[in-house]
Amino acid sequence: MKWIKIEKEDFPRGLKALAETYQCLGPVKGEKYHDFKVLDENRPPDFDFLNTPLSPKFLVEPQSEILFEYTLDEKKEDAHILKEAQKDLPPRLVVGIRPCDAAAFLLVKRNFDTEKYKDPYWVRAYEALTLFGLACQTPCAACFCTTAGGGPFDEAGLDALMVDAGDHFLVKILTEKGEAACNTAGWENVVEEKAALDAAALLKETAESKIASTVETDNLKQQSTTALYDAPFWEEVSFSCINCGTCTYVCPTCWCFDIQDECYGCSGVRMRNWDSCMYPLFTLHGSGHNPRGTKLHRVRQRFMHKLKYYVDKYDDGIQCVGCGRCVVSCPVNIDIRRVCNLMNALPDPSTVCPV
Amino acid sequence: MTHIGIEPGRLQFSWISSAEATKFVDVVKDVTDAIRALGPNTHFVKTLPKVA
Amino acid sequence: MIDYTQKIREIAARLLKEGTVDMVIGFRKGTVPMMNEPCFIRKPEEADRLVWDSHCGINLANYLYDRKEKIGVVAKGCDSRNIVTHIVENKIKREQVHVIGVPCTGMADKRRIGALSEKDGEIREVSEKEGRITVKGDSFTKTFEKKEVLQDNCTTCLHRNPVIHDEMIAEPVEEQTGIDPFEDVKRIEALSPEEKRAYFQGLVADCIRCYACRNACPLCYCPTCFVDESRPQWVGKSIDPTDTMTFHFLRAYHCAGRCTDCGACERACPVGIRVRQFTKKLNKDCVELFDWEAGLTLDERPPLDTYRPQDPNDFIK
Repeated sequence: MKWIKIEKEDFPRGLKALAETYQCLGPVKGEKYHDFKVLDENRPPDFDFLNTPLSPKFLVEPQSEILFEYTLDEKKEDAHILKEAQKDLPPRLVVGIRPCDAAAFLLVKRNFDTEKYKDPYWVRAYEALTLFGLACQTPCAACFCTTAGGGPFDEAGLDALMVDAGDHFLVKILTEKGEAACNTAGWENVVEEKAALDAAALLKETAESKIASTVETDNLKQQSTTALYDAPFWEEVSFSCINCGTCTYVCPTCWCFDIQDECYGCSGVRMRNWDSCMYPLFTLHGSGHNPRGTKLHRVRQRFMHKLKYYVDKYDDGIQCVGCGRCVVSCPVNIDIRRVCNLMNALPDPSTVCPV
Repeated sequence: MTHIGIEPGRLQFSWISSAEATKFVDVVKDVTDAIRALGPNTHFVKTLPKVA
Repeated sequence: MIDYTQKIREIAARLLKEGTVDMVIGFRKGTVPMMNEPCFIRKPEEADRLVWDSHCGINLANYLYDRKEKIGVVAKGCDSRNIVTHIVENKIKREQVHVIGVPCTGMADKRRIGALSEKDGEIREVSEKEGRITVKGDSFTKTFEKKEVLQDNCTTCLHRNPVIHDEMIAEPVEEQTGIDPFEDVKRIEALSPEEKRAYFQGLVADCIRCYACRNACPLCYCPTCFVDESRPQWVGKSIDPTDTMTFHFLRAYHCAGRCTDCGACERACPVGIRVRQFTKKLNKDCVELFDWEAGLTLDERPPLDTYRPQDPNDFIK
């Protein structure tokens, strides 16, 4: 695997060269918080951030996205035809994405890009991305990636991993896409692998040691689904929930959406918007019946999906990358780490004496 | 409404009895004149969604 | 504040033991700094879960309605005003709630404290003593005067003591006086229509339509909110700026004459929108036009559901 070195002072020059080929995005310091935005000379990336409150999932699945459009204006050639919305999708380079967020794309890919079904909007947007990850050297108190199947220096889903080594970045090139972007940027200062590995390993160890919180997931798969579903803790867990969509909207792995049609004059669009299993409307049937009619149902569904149904379906860990965003943003402090541990530790009902 | 930036005068209220036909006509004239003077409303107008 | 916690635990245990209430709703210690989680207890021995400090900003009146139990609820000034509003609006019966009144000296604004410590690093621990809040990170410790880091609504709060209660956990605190709660509204009123539009558009530009503001609000209990209606669909569901703005200002209208400025909406917002700028204007109007502040009395109907001959009608031509 190839390692290169980018002097920090050379970084803006490289970005400028990249901007010829790519739309470059990165964490930008806003008035209130850091967020992933299109970069230019006046809007440089700022890598001194803990975690963006909003995940970069919107780069692939925007909160609101127009899928089709039509017009009934018969003066126009394509009147009465529902056409796919034309999108300008240049190659996009994301610098400074966290390993947890890159891993989240892989996780969501399981749902949007399968043998059988491909969501063309998601797949196209995802394939247009080149991800230059930034190893996470300042994990937050709410981060638990190391026990959620990842890690602050995890490479999964990335095209290159940048490690902040003081006055320069050490960059491990992971894919051809990553290599191509480095060539475009003129970042070609190859360093000896062993030295880079050693330097990175040390930083990695320090970062991992800073992750103070963990979740227990080892038992989730063998837990009985019905026992978890009927577990006694759901009333207590869901009590404080206000049924807002914050946890699902800040989550990099929540993928649910809702289709809406809107028209104006004689034109209209079909779009999709993020949806949230926390909303009563999410499962409301046309008949008026709602199979998840109470907040207990809905809170349980969110955690059961992430920590049980997904685990059973894919047998590859939980549907969570441990970014900690929902923990931090929840207005009432519902904590997935706590719930995960409760679920993991639920005693086997067959061994519990039913009093 | 004016607090969030609708021009003063664009929103008007009148109390007209069903017996006050002339007042009704006067009010309609006054309101349409006032609104014409303001020009078409271009704010808070819902069109096709301005999203990605 | 430690005393407050102790007192709340004692009262909760007693009420449950005596059978005065079936459950007590209060706060338990949060899992992240500057957050506590609303919780309920049903047994006297669970009372030591309850805590009280300057991070109990969530309005517990939001957890009272549509329940069958007799409820003991820990309530600061604003919570109690929302309980009054619930009673007046027939959402709960007075006899269903046992109000454990907490004289309040304001709640800490975790965003403000976070911003003041941003350069130092992430806050990992928080403690408070004698009107001071101390935060600790990996490599720093910082102490703030609590009154310097209050939630914005707490700085202008005129009703820190519960307006109704069945028992109080402590002597009332002194109410703040000589404050103009509407200074910020007046500044906006002085702007031109263009400036006002720009201000409010900017205010909601980051909105992600998660409805945390609405759902944290004790007033927003409609079975189906107007934004969720689809037949007819009053407002679009995307993040189109006009739709987002419509949601915010119409929600504010629905709170007119009812809002206690408890700050729950602003506290809940995950992207830090100053949602109260919408509701505060209507609160100011209610004071000026109807001499009305919401939730102060059980004996008077709110101005928007009653008619009085002296109601101002200059706006009607």
